[in-house]
Amino acid sequence: MRVFLIFTVVAVGTYLVRVSGIALLSNPEKLSPRVRRALGLVAPTAMGAIIVNSLFLDEDGWREFGAWHLGAAVAIAVALWKRSSGWAMSLGAAAFALLLLAGM
Amino acid sequence: MKLVPAIVPDGEPGSDTGANSHATGVGCSCQTGPVTPHRPDSDSADRGSGAATGGPVLGISRLQWADAWAGLKAIAPLMPGSAAFGLAFGALVPVAGINPWTGLYASVSVVAGASQISVVESVRAGAPAVIAVVTALIINARFALYSAALGPVFSAFPRRWKLGLAHIMTDQAAVVALQHADRYPDPVRRRWFVLGGALPFVTVWIVGTLVGVVAGPIIPDSWQIGFIVPLMFVAVMVPTLRRSEDVVALGITAVVVVASRGLPYGLNVMVGIISGIVAGTAWAEWADARRRARGMPPESLADAAEHEAEGGL
Repeated sequence: MRVFLIFTVVAVGTYLVRVSGIALLSNPEKLSPRVRRALGLVAPTAMGAIIVNSLFLDEDGWREFGAWHLGAAVAIAVALWKRSSGWAMSLGAAAFALLLLAGM
Repeated sequence: MKLVPAIVPDGEPGSDTGANSHATGVGCSCQTGPVTPHRPDSDSADRGSGAATGGPVLGISRLQWADAWAGLKAIAPLMPGSAAFGLAFGALVPVAGINPWTGLYASVSVVAGASQISVVESVRAGAPAVIAVVTALIINARFALYSAALGPVFSAFPRRWKLGLAHIMTDQAAVVALQHADRYPDPVRRRWFVLGGALPFVTVWIVGTLVGVVAGPIIPDSWQIGFIVPLMFVAVMVPTLRRSEDVVALGITAVVVVASRGLPYGLNVMVGIISGIVAGTAWAEWADARRRARGMPPESLADAAEHEAEGGL
């Protein structure tokens, strides 16, 4: 029940954010440049925080070096090289599977 | 790409004000696409194109079906990502000990994967509800940027359409709507195009979650399915890293998340995000000042929203 309520509050809050500009803002250039900049950085920082948190930290401290780090390194290299989410995802997953099969 | 969204005076669709002003091109910067004279409007009305032959289907004109189909085709290349991410979220739900129905409910009601995963992680870390909510809402604050950019694009839509479409405006749907707005100066056709892209995309996301919830318990622990979370975010974010402020913000976020790992309830994630945003904004303002000094224009809101949507989830 607690998790259900958390998701409900997040859903309501997210909807209010989503509808704010659509319903109220006829001239988006009213948004101050600083706010615009800050909002533009939410996605990379949020994703970066989740990546670093799950890749390097475990429940009890540092995650032991292994398939997670190497698999992610492959995905990052492919993403930078190909500039393609599909390639990064596919080759990162393949590398991770091979590393697990290799016993890492 | 700089978008100049069509500005159509507000009014209920089909009202003389909205459609006539559109037909005369008032306030509309986009001259491509069909411009049809106004007729009393309903979505079942044939809006005067040769593409619409035959009668309405399910009370909706064939032209509107064609517009919705065009929206679906525009967003289709992004759908595998939505399915995979929905699958990943769904698979995490049973792992975190969350009721499968609650996980499915989250995908229907929140419709924002990164924040949903952050809630799951907060729950796993035993964080108080308020921290789980605030962290998720900070992540979803990015939707304010899309919403602001979409305001003029949706301005001629009826209120019920605005309120409905707002719920299914994912990052990807928002950018598709922004990119194609100029091709649909007619607000009725435009809203069907937007719906045709956004609704199937969300449907795929929900179905992906359902499959993940069902398959999650079957997947052996040795597969370490949790790896899909960083993998998905790497795949989505890294290809979009081009601006210096993104790299600065990301670097600061990474350092702060690790340095503050001792904080309780997974608060290091929220602290890292805020630190990165503050640092990146300061860097961007400094870079902007340099651009202005060189006589170069600062980035527009539409550019910022599109860039944001490239890496959004």
